[in-house]
Amino acid sequence: MNAIQLMRNEVADCGCSAAQDVGVLPPRHRETRNSAAAEGGTVTWAGLEIGEIGAKVGALIRQGRPLPFVLTTLCQLFDATVKGFSSSVLLLDSTGTKVRNGAGSGSPGSYMKQLAAAGAAPGFSLHEVSPILSLTGEPLGIFALYRRECNSEITRCHSALIPQFTHVASAAIERMRSDEALKRSAALLERTQQLSSTCCFSWRAETDEISWSKELCQLFELAPADAPVTLELIGARIHSEDLASFHEMIERARSGVSDFEFEHRLRLPDNSVKYLRVVAHKTRDREGNLEYIGAVQDVTHRRHTEEALAKLRAELARAARVTSLGVLTAAIAHEVNQPLAGIVTNANTCRRMLAVDPPDVEGARETARRTIRDAERASEVVRRLRALFCKKGATSESMDLNEATREVVALSLSELERNKVIVRTELAGGLPRVQGDRVQLQQVILNLLLNALDAMSGVEDRPSQLLIKTERDEKDRVRLSVRDTGVGFEPQGVDRLFDAFYTTKSSGMGIGLSVSRSIIESHKGRLWATPNDGPGATFSFSIPCGRQDVKAGVTGTRRLGAIRTSAVTNAEERHARNL
Amino acid sequence: MTVMIKCPLVSVVDDDESVRESLPDLLRELGYSVRAFSSAEDFLASDCVGKTRCLILDIAMPGMTGPDLQQELTVRGQDIPIVYITAQADETVRSSSLEQSAVACLFKPFSDTALFEALNAAFRVNRAI
Repeated sequence: MNAIQLMRNEVADCGCSAAQDVGVLPPRHRETRNSAAAEGGTVTWAGLEIGEIGAKVGALIRQGRPLPFVLTTLCQLFDATVKGFSSSVLLLDSTGTKVRNGAGSGSPGSYMKQLAAAGAAPGFSLHEVSPILSLTGEPLGIFALYRRECNSEITRCHSALIPQFTHVASAAIERMRSDEALKRSAALLERTQQLSSTCCFSWRAETDEISWSKELCQLFELAPADAPVTLELIGARIHSEDLASFHEMIERARSGVSDFEFEHRLRLPDNSVKYLRVVAHKTRDREGNLEYIGAVQDVTHRRHTEEALAKLRAELARAARVTSLGVLTAAIAHEVNQPLAGIVTNANTCRRMLAVDPPDVEGARETARRTIRDAERASEVVRRLRALFCKKGATSESMDLNEATREVVALSLSELERNKVIVRTELAGGLPRVQGDRVQLQQVILNLLLNALDAMSGVEDRPSQLLIKTERDEKDRVRLSVRDTGVGFEPQGVDRLFDAFYTTKSSGMGIGLSVSRSIIESHKGRLWATPNDGPGATFSFSIPCGRQDVKAGVTGTRRLGAIRTSAVTNAEERHARNL
Repeated sequence: MTVMIKCPLVSVVDDDESVRESLPDLLRELGYSVRAFSSAEDFLASDCVGKTRCLILDIAMPGMTGPDLQQELTVRGQDIPIVYITAQADETVRSSSLEQSAVACLFKPFSDTALFEALNAAFRVNRAI
């Protein structure tokens, strides 16, 4: 390694992470060096070896001295060696188009005075300029050397100092610039972390060496004095219910299967709970050791919002149910009052038959029989209603969609008849049972019926016909469709149909279809609308049959600690949901 | 010797079967002869239209409703006193039916006294005619 490279190393390597390949020098300098070396003389800077100059400049940088100070020191050292000359540095800005004063002998102020006086002073003239190039040959600035007296001459030996100067200066400039860029990117990263409530960490799976940002310390409410952070320290903060899945995740990650994603809660010393989302990327260091680089995001706020949203949705579902019932109140009163009328009339007749002499026992017995039958009829109506009235969370049971449909149709029949709707049902025989929440699914069917009813209420020029159909859908799914002959919908409006509070009716809140869709989606199903070939529209839903877990979408329970082992699995899940 | 006095005919038109079964028995106990029909169309097609002294009529029925039948009877010049019965406990239904010159409007379920009073009112109308 030659002297110049050595010097550059001293500057560039002073604890700085910006890697610079000191082995490559621009050809111009190599040439100069060769000519100086050919002379065989040992060049020193005011008694200092080249290596010492490099070390001095490196020390100034380490002390955090600004670039002009460093370059000025270099100029002073040069001027102390080369008598009768003044050295200076002009710096190019990052665009490479503007030059500004970088450094000169003495303070920049006195240097400028000197330069201003130079024009008037006889003998002060420019002796030499030399570009200061980066390692890759990009111009960083200009080294300029001025004669103080017109007869000043520079020795060949001293002129060999010029390439040394430009090299040390270039290393210093590059070093300072990369430091600045590094600081800027660190500041940017910190700001980004603050803005996105994200912190980063790295974890060497074999040695359990953990390094993490100070934001992560704050998140875990660990004092910086707790460093180094250990898995035990982290474990102590993890919510006891999530601890088992946390350890499971650690073990799985240790085996190096793949990247991981993990959600867990923290229980902090003040007993508050935080929700965290951890995403880590698997990598290997230079020695091939397993290391995870990851980000931790505080999702507490988001989780609370989601919970509030789920609660709100449940309330909406209930409001929709009440609204549907409001529409049905007349029908319900009708349904209950009919058998009650029979009961009262029969009982009155019975009393009269028994009051005459001789009592009409046979007639009385017949009216009593009818009284009982009508009472049973009334209680059946009440039983059907009770399921719709009650407020309870989603429950999952194996159920017959046909039977659920029949019940809803029976309940709505008088309302449909009152609106002069001709109802037809085509319920497929041998339909597989579905797994789901009976009340919620019946609410959806009821919503679809009432929706169809509304769509047909203003139609005078054709009979109102309603077809309710169940059938087996492709791939182990069952489908229910409600086809009406109502006003239909504009094809461009189809996306808005399922928006909450979107309604074309003068009454109603416009939440029926939106709530229906969220119920069907929580059953891993799909709800959609298609315009008919003729008048009207068909609303259908399709849900999987057989055993499956119903995600309790409206009650907002959520499984924590699920480990998704790869992005591929996620994509498959998404794909499966979209099917 | 008993003199057979012909009982006045009361017709019941209601799509609900329990009413069609129970009401005629009670009316017979109250001393009327009774015919029951499950729809307004059936009643119009029968030979009872001219003989009916009082019509007990359900308001909400599929097909021709109670008020539809009343209108049709007015068109035909059949001035039969009408007692409406309805399972919809709605005051606006009652007042609008009374505006249509019905004698009474009873909400189901109704007592035998209420029915008796409504019939008496109907027959007072009959006598007035």
